[in-house]
Amino acid sequence: MRRLLGLRPLGMRRLGMRRLGMRTRVTATLAVGALLLSTMMAVVSYEIIRGELIQERERTAYRLSFSDANVVKAQLGPGFDAFTALGSLGTGSGRRPVLRRNGDWHELSPERAAEQDIPAALQQMVEDGTPAMQRINTDAGPAIVFGVWLTDDTQYYEIFSLSEQQHNLDFIALVLSLTAAGVTLAGGGLGWYIGRRALRPLASVAEAARGIAAGDLDARLDSQVEPDLVRLTTSFNDMVDQLQQRIERDRRFAADVSHELRSPLQTLANAAAVLSRRREHLDQRSGDAAQLVVEEVDRFQHLVTDLLEITRADSELDLSDVDVISLAREQCRARGVDPAIVRASTGIDTIWVADARRVEQILVNLLENAQRHGGGAVAVRLRRTRVRNVIEVDDCGPGVLPEQRELIFRPFVRGVTAERRGDTDGAGLGLAIVARLAESHGGRATVRDRPGGGARFRVELARRPA
Amino acid sequence: MGGVLVIEDDDRIRRSLVLALEDEGYTVRGSATAEDGLAAHRSEPADAILVDLMLPGVDGFECVRQLRRDGDATIVVVSARDDTHDIVAALEAGADDYLVKPVAIKELSARLRAVRRRNRGGPATTATTVVVGDLEIRPDAGEVRLRGEPLPLTRTEFLLLCELGQHAGQVLSRAQLLNRVWEYEFGDERLVDVHVGRLRQKIEDDTAAPQRLVTVRGLGYKLVR
Repeated sequence: MRRLLGLRPLGMRRLGMRRLGMRTRVTATLAVGALLLSTMMAVVSYEIIRGELIQERERTAYRLSFSDANVVKAQLGPGFDAFTALGSLGTGSGRRPVLRRNGDWHELSPERAAEQDIPAALQQMVEDGTPAMQRINTDAGPAIVFGVWLTDDTQYYEIFSLSEQQHNLDFIALVLSLTAAGVTLAGGGLGWYIGRRALRPLASVAEAARGIAAGDLDARLDSQVEPDLVRLTTSFNDMVDQLQQRIERDRRFAADVSHELRSPLQTLANAAAVLSRRREHLDQRSGDAAQLVVEEVDRFQHLVTDLLEITRADSELDLSDVDVISLAREQCRARGVDPAIVRASTGIDTIWVADARRVEQILVNLLENAQRHGGGAVAVRLRRTRVRNVIEVDDCGPGVLPEQRELIFRPFVRGVTAERRGDTDGAGLGLAIVARLAESHGGRATVRDRPGGGARFRVELARRPA
Repeated sequence: MGGVLVIEDDDRIRRSLVLALEDEGYTVRGSATAEDGLAAHRSEPADAILVDLMLPGVDGFECVRQLRRDGDATIVVVSARDDTHDIVAALEAGADDYLVKPVAIKELSARLRAVRRRNRGGPATTATTVVVGDLEIRPDAGEVRLRGEPLPLTRTEFLLLCELGQHAGQVLSRAQLLNRVWEYEFGDERLVDVHVGRLRQKIEDDTAAPQRLVTVRGLGYKLVR
């Protein structure tokens, strides 16, 4: 339990790492890089433009304020009217002239209280005689206020609205943000594309490896396609070459051995037959010994035949039209099994494009297996799916334990019920041959429980075009 | 006179075959080379000849070819080679049957008996003359004429054609043919294919596009009525 708990986070972490594949990482890296870069560019551009725009406005404010202040100053004297003086300035929208005279505030449109907008510190500086400027926030938006000392009791202020600049800046900010977002997306897209391109040769490696695992030893990578991956493709191809040679060597060795065993076996079989026929002329002990020789020769013969059958599974398929129903019925009949147990799904085409010998061998071995270990076959079903031809053989024996269901398809493995080696045949290769033949036919062999007791052996073969 | 001739270079296999077949009641002779075997057969023709393929000097295929030229004795190849190529080549050279080593004596004996029955007895069906187009099959006379010309057929080819002729227009499966012509319960269906191929060479104008003896996909063969 502790081990299990200890393993779990590791497993999850590994899963997480695997999920964040190379393509994702490249995509994310480029997207983040593009985001950072474009944001930085946007911020810097924004700041430069903003500084430029405001400075420009400040320079204008400075110039206009002084000239307006001079106009107002020139009118100072008896009969001075603040309203007239301010009106004579001809300020348009965006400029608010304000006059402070003898502690009163004068404005053209006094709907807003100027004293609230003009900071006290600025007033103080202007009253002390220093022209001053400050950026402020008014109800109408950001603005610049400029103050000029005219006389001890008169100061001129002008509030320049920055609304237009702000408006422009907002627009620029929007454009820059959109640009940044676009660049980020483009970066991510580029990353995804690069990742995909970079991984494409690996995808072909994976494809080839999958093919090889499925038994296609002729799969090779084309080193011309990806010059950057020449080393990978070369070593990959070398590896497959070696593998193929080795498999071929093993196969040939097994075939040669089985082959070489045939000639002496022929002699043994002949001699055993002679012994068997004359058994009654021998004394008891010699007769028993002769019987043992005969039985063992028979077993030996089956073993060699089976071994050859297994090595033959590696040779090329010899495809033809096979009438499976007839074939199955014939094999049942040959084994004393009622051919009526052979059933095909209604309406299916029972002519399969297949290697007739292999299909026959599969049927024979499944029927024999059912006879030997499963109390006899009770049903043979033939059906086809979209991509597969399926053979099922049911028996009424004890079934196969779940932990043995894979094991029994390996060579020289016998089922629990078959531990006795009393019978002369049954080297333990029958189901291994079935599995190999099925694989060579692009399919597989499996076993499960038959509903109602017994085992159900299923062989799936890849459907071939006619 | 008659009996079985075993042409096999492996001394022990030959001796054991002779022993075992004698036990089965055959008169058996053995030859270690194709040359010896051919000479033995010529001086005293055998009913059945067992031939190994891998022989020193003249090989098994050539041996079968020469034996076939000499007559219609039953030729059974017994070889350790089980490639389809070899089997087809041997049958095409003229062998009636092909058995892969190791072969049980009982099996071999059953085959020989079946061949002998076939060679001595003739077709089991009522022998009536069948005329299919310009092909005339006369089981009683043991001859086949194509456009009036007698065709040289081996015993097996003749029986195969008779069987197909008796059921002209009907499809016969390979298993049925194997059962009726060769009298085998079950066996290698390539036997049928090769013999049909040989038969076609003799009765078809174009073996690539058979008009008389056609293949019915997945089912078997049919002699077109």
